[in-house]
Amino acid sequence: MKRVDHGVVTVNPRADLPGGSHRADWAERAGRGLAGAIQRVTAGALGPYQSAVVRIGFSGAWLLFLLREFPHRRELYGPDGPWSWGMARELIANNHAFSALLWSDSAVWFECVYALAALASLLLLVGWRVRATSVLFLVGVLSLQNRSVFMGDGGDNVVHLMAFYLVLTRCGQVWSLDARRARRRATGTGPGGPGPTPDGAAPAPDTTDSGPDEAEAGPGGTEAGPGAAETGAAETGAGGAHRPVAGRAAADRVGPALWVVLGCGLPVATSFAGRTGESWLLALFWLLWLAQGLWWVVCRYAPGQPRVLLDVLANLAHNAALGVIMAEVCLIYATAGWYKVQGDRWQDGTASYYPFRLDYFTPWPALSGLLAGSGLLIMLATYGTVVVQVAFPFTLFNRRVKNVLLAVMMLEHATIAVLLGLPFFSLAMIAADAVFLPTVFLVWAGHRLVRARDRLRPARRGKVPGPREADGEPAAPRTLVG
Amino acid sequence: MDSYGGEGRHAGAPVDAEHVEPGGPRPSAQSGDLRATGGPGRSGGAGIQALSLPYQVVAAVSLAVVGVLAAVHLGMVFLHVAPANTLSKQHGEAVDDWVLPEFEQNWKLFAPNPLQQNIAVQARAELTVAGGRRTTGWIDLSAEDAAVIRGNPFPSHVTQNELRRAWDFFANWHTDDNRPNGVRGELSERYLRRIAALRLDAHREGGRIERIQLRSATRAVVAPVWSDAGKTDTRTYYRVLPWWPVTVADLPGGADAGRGAARAAGEHPEEGR
Repeated sequence: MKRVDHGVVTVNPRADLPGGSHRADWAERAGRGLAGAIQRVTAGALGPYQSAVVRIGFSGAWLLFLLREFPHRRELYGPDGPWSWGMARELIANNHAFSALLWSDSAVWFECVYALAALASLLLLVGWRVRATSVLFLVGVLSLQNRSVFMGDGGDNVVHLMAFYLVLTRCGQVWSLDARRARRRATGTGPGGPGPTPDGAAPAPDTTDSGPDEAEAGPGGTEAGPGAAETGAAETGAGGAHRPVAGRAAADRVGPALWVVLGCGLPVATSFAGRTGESWLLALFWLLWLAQGLWWVVCRYAPGQPRVLLDVLANLAHNAALGVIMAEVCLIYATAGWYKVQGDRWQDGTASYYPFRLDYFTPWPALSGLLAGSGLLIMLATYGTVVVQVAFPFTLFNRRVKNVLLAVMMLEHATIAVLLGLPFFSLAMIAADAVFLPTVFLVWAGHRLVRARDRLRPARRGKVPGPREADGEPAAPRTLVG
Repeated sequence: MDSYGGEGRHAGAPVDAEHVEPGGPRPSAQSGDLRATGGPGRSGGAGIQALSLPYQVVAAVSLAVVGVLAAVHLGMVFLHVAPANTLSKQHGEAVDDWVLPEFEQNWKLFAPNPLQQNIAVQARAELTVAGGRRTTGWIDLSAEDAAVIRGNPFPSHVTQNELRRAWDFFANWHTDDNRPNGVRGELSERYLRRIAALRLDAHREGGRIERIQLRSATRAVVAPVWSDAGKTDTRTYYRVLPWWPVTVADLPGGADAGRGAARAAGEHPEEGR
């Protein structure tokens, strides 16, 4: 932190205006602010906890959905569906959506894709090689949803969008196996023991090298920009870059292997480009894959400035994607809210009564009837919904109000999950909302979970799996996401 | 940086000290710092300031490109979800090109007004039984969905969305006299027919399904008692579709379904539509 400030000063050497007029001061301050902002978005991937919780939320929601629909999978997306493979192909010939299911109409292929989609969700959930698994997650989501577009609802729609954005975020910095692997490497080989090695300690040649490298390689590599291979890359890079040391942790083979395997899928995807998938999407897949390779090569052979540059690029992509995620959530609420304002039923305070009377959205008719019977309750819910949805984007300017509204919205979605029988939609929306949760809260929640788990399994390690609770969180200044 | 980064959290990204940042006392790693920044800790050892001028130029250009891309994307999505307006009328095609198909979205959730009627899709079939033909009564497919949803905390998309959305799809692509009015018309019709065939087939009415007919039964939700109850017209309105012949391919399992084996492909020439 201070480092950054420090850096800012450096970068923006005090414009020496002897007179120091007000205007000059102002300009200087503005310039420094800008330089600081640029440094911020290039030096780090902001919102590690927020991006992690979004990752966990969406992969979890999609995984639960796939498990729940397992008995119906063949009717939803497979060979038994009323939306036949041929019809899907006809529609996609028209809109060029991507679905790996269109590569073949065989039932075996369908089962493989469904299983892979579930597996990718699970791996992304636990944060294993997130650079690779986030792409697989995207492929799974697109393949299934685009195969039968008319099966989906708003929940599927958010998952679809977020799957795209997640690919560009470094969403495994915390609460992930990647982060744990990195930490273990660090503690295993690093001189500093379990604790983070202070920067100053660095020179200790062998160990430290691998220490930091792996340490952050995990995250940096594994989740940082590029995908599959980076971890491998990162580590091997570490070895290669700095004098390799015999005793250092075994080079990662999984990363490169994953990279090679995924690389085999790309020509296949490309060969079906005429049938499914727009060219920009295929280009994106190739780009991500090549970026991984580049990451590996750079780590290994050019660990200096090129490496820093790659990190800067990955941070830029992450920060932009995180910004887009937040803006997308605002757009969702703004759209939902502003359109409602125009409706008579929302104006006369009866709108929320109607869904309780729709056969398709009343799993608990008695409960729905009870609520629908109270005019006051209905009116409050109706006006409250509109107020919250319209107001939400503006409350981002005030942290406290934002947090209150966030809690209200999550609660409302939880209610919708039960009353309207839309659990997966609600789960997805809550996952989207979570991007605005404050860092302190997330860290606190993480602790509680870790502690609860340790209590359940006291035998195992005494400490830490989760995010290193350590330092500074609470003191962290507040930002939009924080 | 602060909140996210730096030494906070994973702090430690230890960094080797080979390379000291130009302006800082902080030792910054070469390769180490990279990872360092990659880590949640994101120690400040990297960023654009850690780069030499040529690399800084690349980073700056990338920053601009990424910024512009994000802004354009959000602008396009905004125009996509906003009501038709000056801009989107002029550039509707560009917006569609950008957004469709993968970023398509619709957030008019229960807006501007919630659905205020229950639309039930009902079907009946004409069967051949023992040489003759028999027509079943109307079977309320939506009521069957509703029955499955009752008491189910996790309703499946198959019950909650399949038929409901298929009917919307059909209605959107057909005129009031049930003629297709666009490229998706035929697709939506086939889809609806296949859903109905699937459901009716599961009823095991006996005999072979020759033709099916669908209708929608729309009934308004009674307005709440405290508002203008009594004014609601609660009669049921039917929209009856023509009889559709069912081909083997419409039935579960498609053409290779065992049950269809008896039927010659050419038996229903009119089906080819």
